[in-house]
Amino acid sequence: MTVSGNENMIIIKDLSKTYKVGPSTVRAVDTVDLEIPTGQMVSIVGHSGSGKTTLLSLMGGLTKPSSGRVLLDGINIWNLNDKEMSLLRNMKIGFTFQFASLMPTLNAIDNVRLPSTFGDNPEADLSRPEELLELVGLGDRMHSYPGQLSGGEQRRVALARTLMNKPQLILADEPTGDLDEETESDILETFRKINEEGVTIVIVTHSRVVASRAQRVLRMTKGHLTENEE
Amino acid sequence: MKRLGLLYLAAQNLRRKPFRSFVTIAIVGLASGTLFSATLLIGSVDRSLEVGMERLGADLLVVPEGYQESGQAALITGAPTSFYMSRSILDQVKATPGVEQASAQLFIESLLSVPCCTGRAQLVGYDPDTDFVITPWLVDNLNRPLEKDEVIIGSLILANKGEQVHFYGQAFNVAGVLDATGMGADESVFMKIDDAYQMAADSSMQAEETIDVRPGQISSVLVKMTPGTNIDQLTQRIKTNVPGTMIITANELSRSVTDRLSGFTRGFIAIDAIVWVMSLLTIAAIFSMIVNERQREIGLLRAMGASRRFVFRLMLVEAVFLTAAGGLAGIFIGGAGLFIFKAVITTSLGIPYLWPPLLTFAKLTVITLLLAIATGAAASLYPAYSSSRLEPYAAIRQGE
Repeated sequence: MTVSGNENMIIIKDLSKTYKVGPSTVRAVDTVDLEIPTGQMVSIVGHSGSGKTTLLSLMGGLTKPSSGRVLLDGINIWNLNDKEMSLLRNMKIGFTFQFASLMPTLNAIDNVRLPSTFGDNPEADLSRPEELLELVGLGDRMHSYPGQLSGGEQRRVALARTLMNKPQLILADEPTGDLDEETESDILETFRKINEEGVTIVIVTHSRVVASRAQRVLRMTKGHLTENEE
Repeated sequence: MKRLGLLYLAAQNLRRKPFRSFVTIAIVGLASGTLFSATLLIGSVDRSLEVGMERLGADLLVVPEGYQESGQAALITGAPTSFYMSRSILDQVKATPGVEQASAQLFIESLLSVPCCTGRAQLVGYDPDTDFVITPWLVDNLNRPLEKDEVIIGSLILANKGEQVHFYGQAFNVAGVLDATGMGADESVFMKIDDAYQMAADSSMQAEETIDVRPGQISSVLVKMTPGTNIDQLTQRIKTNVPGTMIITANELSRSVTDRLSGFTRGFIAIDAIVWVMSLLTIAAIFSMIVNERQREIGLLRAMGASRRFVFRLMLVEAVFLTAAGGLAGIFIGGAGLFIFKAVITTSLGIPYLWPPLLTFAKLTVITLLLAIATGAAASLYPAYSSSRLEPYAAIRQGE
């Protein structure tokens, strides 16, 4: 993994995100300030609808903030144009989602390889998908399509895809939701190994078990972010 | 191991809903096929007229009154016909001011399905002394006049040079085969008029039917005008000077064919316009559906680093794939259909037909294909644009 030279991988200043829902305005994220040092594994916990996923999306440049700034590895991401932002997502960030996020028409190895399609790195290691599938224990399912894989296997393929471009930051939204304990444990172990290599990881979760694996736990309550005191 | 390309991703996406892809291909194929085959047909008729008129080599044709239509049919489609008038008409036509050359022809219908005869053909006797239609071909191709009992045959007569054909119990040697014109000449057999009279005289003894024609009778007079003559005025003069005759001009022949085609052309334009609009709307609807269905995937692609441009191009390429496949299918099926049903179409419409040169064929293929692709691109433009503008987070959430 490429490790960032910056002290803080993420710096968030006065970040807010509001939505119009009918006549009223919902503040999904409300003036959040946050610094996440490079190489830290952070979990964000909170009730459903507390704004955790929205905050994660703001960090990853998937949704535009109503106000405030997000600096990723020193770059103010909302000053980037679409091409630069796409490249940043492609090269620096790996996302995992709370659902099986594979492309149904591609087999496992092509799904893992997909992120290398968008970047313009001619030195991309094209044998990496095989190594990554071996890493997540699916070396024998490389040519299986998502429909032929169990939910847990699909999640593991998605995790392998997240790692394809050697991201410096992993943003994981409920990465082990509705998975059995064994698969959850495997995935968390993979996160731990990656984190040991210096990759910053932010995990949004409901699970105390998952949260407890992080070095730092943050709590989101009605759009406000606080350090978890529990 | 290779990178995944845009084309690969687009092709994989299209495989997920084979029936929907098939419907899109089919509707574009229908539009392209209709356009291709109808344009090919119209173009082939035009070419046939051009070549056929050149082969006819005359500015106008004088026929007995009442036989204008069957004369036209014989010239255009080769429908065998026979009608006669006195040879003295030839002299009267020749004497008309504005006539540079005039030559008589004799039309005889061949007998069908009888042992004596080769098959359906329009037998045409020409006068070697005055002819200006067959003779130039003989000079160019045989370098000699026709001998007794020799014939020149149209391209659709089933015989080769050097073989014999039989009409009314008499054998004729094939001295040459004319190039295809798509018109009546292709189904005609040209012989010297004296041989035709002789064949008629012998028919009572040698054939199952007698040809009721005598020397001194002719069927038509081919006329070449003096340069600078007004064809309408000459037509009027011949009608006045030579009573009991009708005039068929080259322009009338073209007009006759054009008239026969006009209903078809109008119908074709209407149908094809409807089909193209339908395909445009169908593709637009299908791609709007695709964008809607794939919102989450589009969001995921964007999260993985796909730019707006990539998503836009992906949608566009999918549409182009489908419409190009539809265009190719339409061209193939339309072309094959025209090839198979050519005889039925030309007979029912009463039009000549000559396949266009390869270059024209290739141009039409390319134009039809480009039009199909342009239709796909145009129809998918807005859905592709919408998909590229989706905010990744919103797209992922809306797809949930």
